[in-house]
Amino acid sequence: MATYKQNVGTTVVNYAGNYPGAVEGELWYDSTNKDFKYQFSTAVGVWSSGGNVNTARINSGAAGTKSAALLFGGTPTTAKTESYNGTSWTEVNDLGTARYGVGGSGLQTAALAFGGTGNSALTELWSGTNWTEVNDLNTGRQQIKAGGTSTSTLAFSGWSPYFAVTESWNGTNWTEVNDLNEARYYAAGAGADNTEGLCFGGIDQPGGSKVANTESYNGTNWTEVNNLNATRQAFSGFGSATSALAFGNEPVSAATELWNGTNWTEVADLATARKELAGAGTSNAGGLAISGAAPSYTTATEEWSSTTNTVKTLTD
Amino acid sequence: MAKTYQYCVAENWGKGFIDHDESHRITFKGYPGNVWQVPAYNKHGNLWIAKVAGTVKTKDEAQAIVNAEVQAAQATWDAQTDEEKADPMNTRPSDITLEE
Repeated sequence: MATYKQNVGTTVVNYAGNYPGAVEGELWYDSTNKDFKYQFSTAVGVWSSGGNVNTARINSGAAGTKSAALLFGGTPTTAKTESYNGTSWTEVNDLGTARYGVGGSGLQTAALAFGGTGNSALTELWSGTNWTEVNDLNTGRQQIKAGGTSTSTLAFSGWSPYFAVTESWNGTNWTEVNDLNEARYYAAGAGADNTEGLCFGGIDQPGGSKVANTESYNGTNWTEVNNLNATRQAFSGFGSATSALAFGNEPVSAATELWNGTNWTEVADLATARKELAGAGTSNAGGLAISGAAPSYTTATEEWSSTTNTVKTLTD
Repeated sequence: MAKTYQYCVAENWGKGFIDHDESHRITFKGYPGNVWQVPAYNKHGNLWIAKVAGTVKTKDEAQAIVNAEVQAAQATWDAQTDEEKADPMNTRPSDITLEE
């Protein structure tokens, strides 16, 4: 039988801790922890605990990334805004108008809040310090979903009634573009800018049924693509049209699905099942699940991380 | 029959409560009443309970805590107006049955 050295070309390395020079599949001995370990590549992601929000809420808007995010508005009707630094949430200046069911896009330092309670068309721009009112949506609505930046956003779906209306933000104005194929609300959305978008799940029209349908926007039209594995409503998502995550549901659920640009795959669950939560993140590699109802309002934040290099301890 | 899960009560303090490595190693489930489920007879589950200073509960004790929380949420829901109850996103909180 061939030895390890004959197969791999080296003897087993003796190293104090995780061996930084390890290559795919290489075994080493961790002399500090007295474990045999090896490294392998994986795209498996998990949820871990993030900082708790100061004000638990549902139906809020969010923007940003796993380590730098913004949370604003929500139910009970509030204008409160909180900023996340990767560890904790800090209250910052309020929205100009308190509302829930508000859409969000952008980053922690440059975000957009639009729509909300009472079919509002209000749009506010976050400078990193303050919210300033800018030009309204053409079609006011709540439960509006979106993806993009503070200068380039695609906004779609919403209520009431059920909306298929899609609008593109160019940094100054909203312009109506082609509708979703299926009008819906309580969906989730993702997108990098106003040239792409992903709308998934929600409650459709007609029928008022919870759906798994997913549509992708190519800068001109929406096209139906592969469905979520489960129907979902009042859940959340983040990412882009080619790399997204979906999580939560009503009734409350911890189920999470990952979009790779073609298919949805079930991945690791949230630790705390919930609904009507917020999400922030720019790809399925990392992001946040924020607050929501479980079924009581929760302050919990969970951080999604997808690991590419994993160290496996063989002697566990 | 050997149990599959163990339960504890611990308050989620936020960042670091469940860290990335712990989540990679075992599966956590949180329930109302700060009840947490982790695998039984598992080194990493035991280490996590110790880290969060969790109070270990039998399954029946944990179930009683969850039931009290769910029943309180159900009573709150029952007290709502018919209009509030008609909101499709406002379904009555369901009973939760913990696993052995």
